[in-house]
Amino acid sequence: MIFEGRCWKFGDNIPTDRLVKSKYVFEPMSEIVKHVLEDLNPEFPLGVQPGDIVVAGKHFGQSSGRAIATKALKATGIGCVVAQTFARTFYRNCFEVGLPALELSSVGDLVREGDRLRVDLTAGVLENLTTGARATAPAADPFLVSMLEAGGLIKLAAARPEIFA
Amino acid sequence: MNMAEKILARASGRQSVEPGEIVVADVDRLLMHDLSGYLTGQVYDREVSKPVRYPDRVVMVFDHHFSPPTEQQAVVLETNRAWARKHGINLLDCGNGNLHHAAVRRGFIQPGMIVVGSDSHTPVHGALGALGVALGNDSHAGTVLPHGKAWFKVPTTTRIEVTGTPPPGTTARDVALWLAAEIGEGELNYKALEFAGPYVKELPFWDRWLFPLLCVDLGAKCAYVEPDEVTEAFVRTLPGGTTERLARSDGLEAEQLLRFDIGELTPQVAAPPTVGNVHSARSIAGKPVRWAELGGHGGGRFEDIAAAARVLDGRRVHPDVRFNIVPSSREVFAEADRAGLVLALHEAGATWFPPSTGSNQAYNMGALAPGEVMISTHARNFPGRNGSPDAEMYLASATTVAASAVTGTITDPREITHPREVAA
Repeated sequence: MIFEGRCWKFGDNIPTDRLVKSKYVFEPMSEIVKHVLEDLNPEFPLGVQPGDIVVAGKHFGQSSGRAIATKALKATGIGCVVAQTFARTFYRNCFEVGLPALELSSVGDLVREGDRLRVDLTAGVLENLTTGARATAPAADPFLVSMLEAGGLIKLAAARPEIFA
Repeated sequence: MNMAEKILARASGRQSVEPGEIVVADVDRLLMHDLSGYLTGQVYDREVSKPVRYPDRVVMVFDHHFSPPTEQQAVVLETNRAWARKHGINLLDCGNGNLHHAAVRRGFIQPGMIVVGSDSHTPVHGALGALGVALGNDSHAGTVLPHGKAWFKVPTTTRIEVTGTPPPGTTARDVALWLAAEIGEGELNYKALEFAGPYVKELPFWDRWLFPLLCVDLGAKCAYVEPDEVTEAFVRTLPGGTTERLARSDGLEAEQLLRFDIGELTPQVAAPPTVGNVHSARSIAGKPVRWAELGGHGGGRFEDIAAAARVLDGRRVHPDVRFNIVPSSREVFAEADRAGLVLALHEAGATWFPPSTGSNQAYNMGALAPGEVMISTHARNFPGRNGSPDAEMYLASATTVAASAVTGTITDPREITHPREVAA
């Protein structure tokens, strides 16, 4: 699984509340997606392009474990999300909703806003095409990768009912 | 094996489990509130659309609304009621209290259970020796509702031993807030936490509750206090309370041990923007507050209300402050009434709200204008969570919240409750 796109860089400890604010939770996804991360970078929901890569610092997606935060981030069309560390519910939700996520401890020093990035999720490799820098992360668990390949947990459970029967 | 591993082994039909393994385990209880329940129900009906396998294991609690303030929210609640009826699940409607408190008080949580929910504070049920884990809506819709199961990665365990007797005026919530900062947000990512040591063991049940509650801010998957006679005595007070499945660790199995002494700890306050931004109450004293509130996942306990009543005994809420009290359950409101605290706090100038989760995300109370400041017992203080991102939310013990409501500024409560100790 390989993704290439522009880097949108965010900071540490960003809660799901700031990905999708409470007041938008009951809105249709077509509306929610216009406001993703808007408090932290108003340009993001306006300028994000399909395949772009969101990079964050420590404990990305903390707070509420609502999957809608990952669904909204996925709905912006980004290819994948890379963080120094993820909050565990957010990381779990990424794979369950089919949004590729890579945990890479050195990512903060490796990329700047606007750089072109290339991420090979299965190999756990991030390459900064703008600067030539490169780093390797521990590979994702094969069970989680199978979830992404199926298109998320619900589709995996439907396709392979023996896992949860 | 330790407690978490034993529960995962039992529920996945194995003799034993090892940290790092992924297992598929039976879920004993799914807890959803009015928001997560709505989102999960939508996904379930749209993408899964099967009968719920074990409806008696599923509980929905309307806690973000004690009454819907808008038509849109009324429609959400009506949709949830219809969904609950259609699938035959348990429903605790508006006015029953905070999701976790109400579930415990109604006997839905027992030691040894696997309890899951979308609410990130679901690990709090480790206070009863249950394995509480927050999962996302798609786990619930995809596997818990249709199959009664969920996937879990067996976590490694960190044991947190707390020793020492804090000085008067310092409460268990001060200790919990301080630990969040001392250990660091996200620093125990994916781990199981065991809270132990003489300080924790000597706490009554509802003070122990505050420790598994904080595990989400540390990044942990679950947390527990090893069940003992305090746990068992508490469980016996619950409807249908049983220790049949109670699991205890075989020894001191943990990958990591952290030790803390809180013998000198003074009252603490978490300042914006996150729960881990903790300072001594004294160092930020003087900040004017406009709202004070007892409520939320950790607040609104009888102990919080009693602590506030002690501070307000012979005093009044400051004219510039609105002090709102939100009991965590109907049972707590009844206990406060029997103790004479409802009238005492009312006459001191506080305002009672219905049992609910209070201002949590301002769904039906607690929105803040730019520049307004709230101090509360809530569990979260991210900017923009309650109205304006330019408002400020501080988190503290009920004692500190009540003391700040009296003076109109953030106050080290010992200035009121123990003036001689503070002067010394």
